[in-house]
Amino acid sequence: MRAVSKAKNHSIARKSLRRTIFFVAAILFAASTFDAYNQAQLALVLILFIGVLSVTLLTGISGQLSLGQGALMAVGGYCMALLMSNQGYSLWVAIPLAIVGSALAGLLLGISAARLTGPYLAGTTLVIALAIPTLANRFMSVLKGDEGLPVDVGYPPVWFTNLLGEPSYEQWQLYVALPFAAVALFLASNILLSRTGRMWRAIRDNETAAALSGVNFSRQKIFVFVVSATFAGLSGALYGLRGLVGPSVYPVSLSLLLLTAAVLGGIRSIFGAFIGTVIVVFLPDWIDAVLHQFELSEQVSNFMPALVSSLLLILTVVINPAGVAGTHPHKHK
Amino acid sequence: MDTFLAAFFSGTSRGAIYALVALGLVIVWRGAGILNYAQMGQAMFSTYIASTMITNGNSYWLAFVVAILVGAVMGVLLDILVMRPLSNKKKTELLSSASMRAAIPVIASLGILGVLQALAGIIWAAEERGFPAPYAQEGFTVANNVMPFTSFDVFVITVVLSTLALTSLFFKKTGVGLAMRATALNSEVARLSGIRTNFTRSLSWAFSGAASSLAGLLITPTSNLSPNTLDLVLIIGFTAAVVGGLDSPAGAVIGGFLVGMVISFVSFYDTPEDVFLAILAVLILVLIIRPRGILGAKDARRV
Amino acid sequence: MLEVKNLVTKFSSVVALDDISFTAQESKITTVIGANGAGKSTLLRTISGLEHATSGSITWRGKSVLGMRAEDIVRDGIAHVPEGHAVISELTVEENISMGSLFRRRKFKADVAAAQDEMYELFPRLKERRKQMAGTLSGGERQMLAISRALVSRPKLLLLDEPSLGLAPLVVEQIIDSINILCRTTGLTVLLVEQNANTALGVADHGVLLALGKVVADRPAAELRADANLRAAYLGY
Repeated sequence: MRAVSKAKNHSIARKSLRRTIFFVAAILFAASTFDAYNQAQLALVLILFIGVLSVTLLTGISGQLSLGQGALMAVGGYCMALLMSNQGYSLWVAIPLAIVGSALAGLLLGISAARLTGPYLAGTTLVIALAIPTLANRFMSVLKGDEGLPVDVGYPPVWFTNLLGEPSYEQWQLYVALPFAAVALFLASNILLSRTGRMWRAIRDNETAAALSGVNFSRQKIFVFVVSATFAGLSGALYGLRGLVGPSVYPVSLSLLLLTAAVLGGIRSIFGAFIGTVIVVFLPDWIDAVLHQFELSEQVSNFMPALVSSLLLILTVVINPAGVAGTHPHKHK
Repeated sequence: MDTFLAAFFSGTSRGAIYALVALGLVIVWRGAGILNYAQMGQAMFSTYIASTMITNGNSYWLAFVVAILVGAVMGVLLDILVMRPLSNKKKTELLSSASMRAAIPVIASLGILGVLQALAGIIWAAEERGFPAPYAQEGFTVANNVMPFTSFDVFVITVVLSTLALTSLFFKKTGVGLAMRATALNSEVARLSGIRTNFTRSLSWAFSGAASSLAGLLITPTSNLSPNTLDLVLIIGFTAAVVGGLDSPAGAVIGGFLVGMVISFVSFYDTPEDVFLAILAVLILVLIIRPRGILGAKDARRV
Repeated sequence: MLEVKNLVTKFSSVVALDDISFTAQESKITTVIGANGAGKSTLLRTISGLEHATSGSITWRGKSVLGMRAEDIVRDGIAHVPEGHAVISELTVEENISMGSLFRRRKFKADVAAAQDEMYELFPRLKERRKQMAGTLSGGERQMLAISRALVSRPKLLLLDEPSLGLAPLVVEQIIDSINILCRTTGLTVLLVEQNANTALGVADHGVLLALGKVVADRPAAELRADANLRAAYLGY
């Protein structure tokens, strides 16, 4: 029952494309004005942005609260690392395969979690987030335990250096992350604007009504998990590209970081996801800038960013749950 | 046989602690409709305070009592400063969705957990520190045989069982206990009976805070104290509560002992590394086979 | 007496109570009748503090109770039995009744036991089932229990919301009779909301007819009962 015409689909795609192009242009512009350190930060923003989008899609749009996105990132990262180190694939092959792997993990997660709601879902995903990294120790031989698998991001291909010159390490990180982030943005925007997005929102807002209006919502719920997992897996793979894939790279706090970013920025929009990621990545720098004048011990400064972001999370939830991007009238929420 | 006994006793003593944690979770779940993920963060914080007191020369018992009181106070503060404003929020567009309404207190409690862990890091640094036990942790020696349980184990079990007994008496026999139960079961009828439900709700938080602080004090001697050590305890407690039935205090206790046994036997007969996976397996099994838990009511509140 | 003046209660954009004014005299039974959705339950819930009024005034014996918390209004002598057998099924009969007098324990310790005993005298079936869980009681018994819970707080004003809902006529008669006796012997003021207008008007002194949130008629019960036109138009009989 294709209720949406081909024309509508095209216009959604066009809209998403416009947003994506604007996004890419903005990033490139910002990157050109940034110093090396901030370029690396920006690359990190792009990488985590994809992960935060997985939270936005799962929680903001379809209302499933999962605390295990970090574990899904780990799945993506490990898939990629294993393919690259054991099988010798290049990252351009390993990453798409890692995405497939994460989709499978998402499928498993979705099937087991689709019946759960609220605190049961949150608690179970939290347990998963804690349990998955222990697999690394369990299967020491393959997954190398706490030590992890080193990842070599390799060199830019020849055609690239011929075209744009030799990029710095930080620039290369950006150039690798940007296309993936752009694709993720495009897809997310498409979903949000499409009929699928409407179904997901219906599930979030009123499960009973959604079921009554014919949405096969247990199937959609599983689908949400799969899609969200692919975003998380991609993010995790890129995250691992920075050098290492191991339990210490994907701790439980990573899941919470993604959630915090999503909530702070505005859990219901892509724009919110981006803002939130920017906040969460640059917060330590901003705090440092403020506290620089006070001579604080390392003890304090280590934990300040965590303290501030947790406080912001509480304040956001209590005062303005819609986040920074929040309640600005979006035609498609 | 030795391994079995050791596993059994360890399971009992750990199970007792998990029963306490699960009980704390269930009391707040029933009394306030919220699953408090920050609970063990509160416990960690009060245990740190106790640890500092002991290091500064105070007696273990004084620190013990103070920690429990701190836990209770923290619970009340949590309710008044965060949870009550949350539930009083007027219905904004975001909150019109049922799943968001359920998700928001969870997110808030995670935020609180984050704050507590960061504060603990700032105040006490993240180095692991030991925490003393008031009784020997070696096995009893009776007639030249070393028993598989220690005097500390006996202490733990005694304390937890008496706490559970006192709690049960409190809820069943006192007026305040009745008021708390009424508030948890039907707050509207409770209010119409003149019960100050805000107050009884805060009492639930206080009780839960105290119980989890007690659990923290009892479990830290056997692990180490750092801002993150009690994370595992939280998810074990959560699993225990789900196993027993999220709305049944008695179920929480049973769930705690059961899960404690499972963990203990997995640790002793398999490897401690599999504990997380075992917990996950138990959780998923329960949620598939009997989602309401062992003692949960059939039409119990699901979200 | 209970004075309600220009009471307005809104739920987002829906106006449930639209400028309601009436008076309920002391020691008399005033009944509020009207079709479904007329606002009767909302009226009681606003008086007892479960809902917030948007504007207007509610005074009981000269004291304004508008904006007070429900649990405080109980302490001023207003008890509300909401519709649908408002008892707590997971507590025993005894606990349900005792729940209603918890807040009196400090000031009126001696009277608490006496009040509970009176409830068991009023409803002997409850006495037999003291230790049973409220959820195991029949519909009629649950309603008796709900009323006992309210009465044990020694109210001066009783708000009763559709006590007849889902009950057999004989049981309804028993309950309404008990209320009537209570009112006449102890001087309890009763505000009775009922769908079953005939029964209500049979026992009440005064009647207030609500339709779509507005007061349509405010007259002695006997008059309302006799007015066939009004009955046909608003009450369907």
